[in-house]
Amino acid sequence: MMSWIAELEAILGDEDVITDPERLLAYECDGLSIHKHLPSAVIFPESAEEVVRAVKVLARHRIPFLARGAGTGLSGGAVAVQGGVIFELARMNRILEIDYENQLAIVEPGVINLALTRAVADAGYFYAPDPSSQMACTLGGNVAENAGGPHCLKYGMTGHHILGLEVVLPDGTIITLGGHGADAVGYDLLGLFIGSEGTFGIATKITVRLMRQPQAVKTLLADFLSVEDASRAVSAIIAAGILPSALEMMDRATIEAVEASVYAAGLPTDAAAVLIIEVDGLEASVAYDAERIVEICRAHGARQVLVARDEAERTRLWAGRKGAFGALGRISPDLMVQDAVIPRSKLPEVLPEIYRIAARYGLRMANVFHAGDGNLHPNICFDGRNPEEVERVKAACQEIMHLCVRVGGSLTGEHGVGLDKIAYMPLVFTEEDLEAMARVRAVFDPEGRCNPGKVLPVRRCRAF
Amino acid sequence: MNEKTTMTRALDRALDHEAEKLLACIHCGLCVSACPTYLQLGDENDSPRGRLYLMRAAAEGRLPMTSRALAHHIDLCLGCRACETVCPSGVRYGRLLEAVRADLSRAGTTPGLWSVRFLLNHIFTSPARLRWFFAPARWLRRRAFARRWAEGKFLPARVRLALELLLATMPEEGAPRDERRTIPLVSSGRRARRVAFFAGCVARELFAHTNRATMDVLAAHDCEVEDPSDQVCCGALHAHAGEIETARALARRNIRAFERSAAETIIVNVAGCGAMLKEYSELLADDAEYAERARAFAARVRDVSEYLIEIGLRPGPRPLHLRVTYDAPCHLYHAQRVRTAPLEMIRRLPGVTFVPLTEAEMCCGSAGIYNLRHPELADRLLERKIAHLRRTGADVLLTGNAGCLMHLRRGVRRAGLSMRVLHPVELLALTYA
Repeated sequence: MMSWIAELEAILGDEDVITDPERLLAYECDGLSIHKHLPSAVIFPESAEEVVRAVKVLARHRIPFLARGAGTGLSGGAVAVQGGVIFELARMNRILEIDYENQLAIVEPGVINLALTRAVADAGYFYAPDPSSQMACTLGGNVAENAGGPHCLKYGMTGHHILGLEVVLPDGTIITLGGHGADAVGYDLLGLFIGSEGTFGIATKITVRLMRQPQAVKTLLADFLSVEDASRAVSAIIAAGILPSALEMMDRATIEAVEASVYAAGLPTDAAAVLIIEVDGLEASVAYDAERIVEICRAHGARQVLVARDEAERTRLWAGRKGAFGALGRISPDLMVQDAVIPRSKLPEVLPEIYRIAARYGLRMANVFHAGDGNLHPNICFDGRNPEEVERVKAACQEIMHLCVRVGGSLTGEHGVGLDKIAYMPLVFTEEDLEAMARVRAVFDPEGRCNPGKVLPVRRCRAF
Repeated sequence: MNEKTTMTRALDRALDHEAEKLLACIHCGLCVSACPTYLQLGDENDSPRGRLYLMRAAAEGRLPMTSRALAHHIDLCLGCRACETVCPSGVRYGRLLEAVRADLSRAGTTPGLWSVRFLLNHIFTSPARLRWFFAPARWLRRRAFARRWAEGKFLPARVRLALELLLATMPEEGAPRDERRTIPLVSSGRRARRVAFFAGCVARELFAHTNRATMDVLAAHDCEVEDPSDQVCCGALHAHAGEIETARALARRNIRAFERSAAETIIVNVAGCGAMLKEYSELLADDAEYAERARAFAARVRDVSEYLIEIGLRPGPRPLHLRVTYDAPCHLYHAQRVRTAPLEMIRRLPGVTFVPLTEAEMCCGSAGIYNLRHPELADRLLERKIAHLRRTGADVLLTGNAGCLMHLRRGVRRAGLSMRVLHPVELLALTYA
């Protein structure tokens, strides 16, 4: 019998099957580089047919596998924790169809998020979910993680914008999910697949919803002298019945890093925190909402509230916000980011506590997050070459996670559980909950070969 | 261990400057989609993040300096530095690339570079030898049979490609012609400003017409131009190929040559050279005798477009009636970060309609001598560029770098587009005629 590597080479060509350990090194981690595991091979399929044939080979040889796009994920989701084969889908990057009449587009999984919005911008459309990594991350990865982004406050997560999927199951069967209108006929398997973090199969074709660009957009920048004031302003804006399209917070450490970077946006480096608030819709309602937001911010101690004067200023503010994670690399060589969600009203209480935890462990912390959703992103800056510091990082993360769960929060808002948050799953789910999830997973992937070691903790020698 | 200590010296030194955030890469991945080779190949190893990962592995001893993967993927890098434009963390990728290439060159793992290294170290270091080297080329490019040979099938593909590129150095129809190697130091009679001109090596031999146009334009701006006689090649090709010591030697000679000029500003019209000249301060940072002098030199350097906007552009009166598009040379846009000056210049040319080019800031595949060393990948990038160019419907494509001019002109001709490819100063010069 041929080895599985030879079989893959026969399908894809020698060049497109990497097994040289030196060339596998770059695939040992994704955007969260604290988790490192070397895959056995990386392959570069260019069509759904090649994906199917490769998956069938791996099924015959019972070899685990997972899909990967740009590798910008922040939960260790695209890492081969048990070895196995990585399907690098970057070459499947064609936009297959754009249908403005029905407001949808059909794309391959390797299409870059921002590339889609750019492709439809001139026609007056956009693709709403906008993760901060949107200039690099792929739509396939967005589907797997049910990715969010600043504008999900108003427009919803990736899941709200996926109309249909073509999916290759772990045995090589190719199936179609959704795609038949607003309501799912039969079981909502589409909803089940989105956010399954690559554990149910590989999406090879994605039908997405396109949105009409709003008539008017206003972006505001409010700066505060304390994070508590900024947090209270966040709650007050939502409580006033306003639904901004985005409501983001950046603290001083983040502002300083951004302002030192190529994404400098003119943020006040002496502020304790800034809010970037965007409202969109009809001209009249945007003007009205913006006015009320200015009032609310002022009432909660904002030193200054600026409105972006033009598109260039707006773009600069957003580039600064979206480059923030990377900009924190200026502080230290490594970065750990958490993704907990808490009730918005708890922000003024939880945020200071998070800073206290970091201080207690002697760690540098920077917060930049989707405040409107209560989706925290505490970033801990550290040096991975110092094992003792790594231990402190892990301990601090654990405390932060416990704190968030205690106030009624959840483990992840948009990055996914991946490898990074598995240990915390029992904090929010009972054994029965996890068992039910494991049974669902087993329906799609009975042998546990599809992105194994992710999402569900392993206990009693089996995936929960 | 011994191997590591001797082989990774340049990279180690570069990494040691961590205070300057040389290795600030935290693996966020924003760079991958800005990288032309990643977009073509889809392999993380051919992305900036992947290459940095390999470099880091080499520096930390996880990979030997003789690693074939390291050599191969570093060799495939265009050095366009588009990643630096998007890197939030401020990783100085270009510097790290030069450092690792110097190490690879010392370790002898850089593939297929023997002949190139000979040219770089023994021909490009001497203006006299360069002159003899390029004399037959200048003769050849005017011969009718050269075009037949380039289009024929009997020459090996690589030679045909070189010949096509050579033919692409000929001035376009209607642009001023010049074959002189000496820079024609014309003057308007009014001498408001004194500048020194960096004439380049290949540019002096094959782009005399571009240098001539630059002189005309500077004269129209009342500049008195000097051509310091002892100047040599800037060393960019050397630095990019890992011949860092030769690059340093050339830099020292240029610094001495231009120190003798009283002109405040040094004008350069080739983006690749300009980027190198502006980075002499980094190239010689560890040279006690030259560090300060290099900083002073670098501070004087301006790209011609940058300079003209700075002093106030004065285009001539002749309307051009042209649709014009612009492709940004990587070493102008990403390395020198001169982004708006050429556009501002074009906008102010009489009778010109500007048509923006999609992905104008993405490498065309020329990248120094990359198109000769990796013709297949270079051509894929060229095709992508040509597809965007076709959609502009422009009469003229402007770009301010010798290598890009050759590569793009070749691409435009092969694609059968009726588009002239010019240096921005060549178009500007036409407005005075």
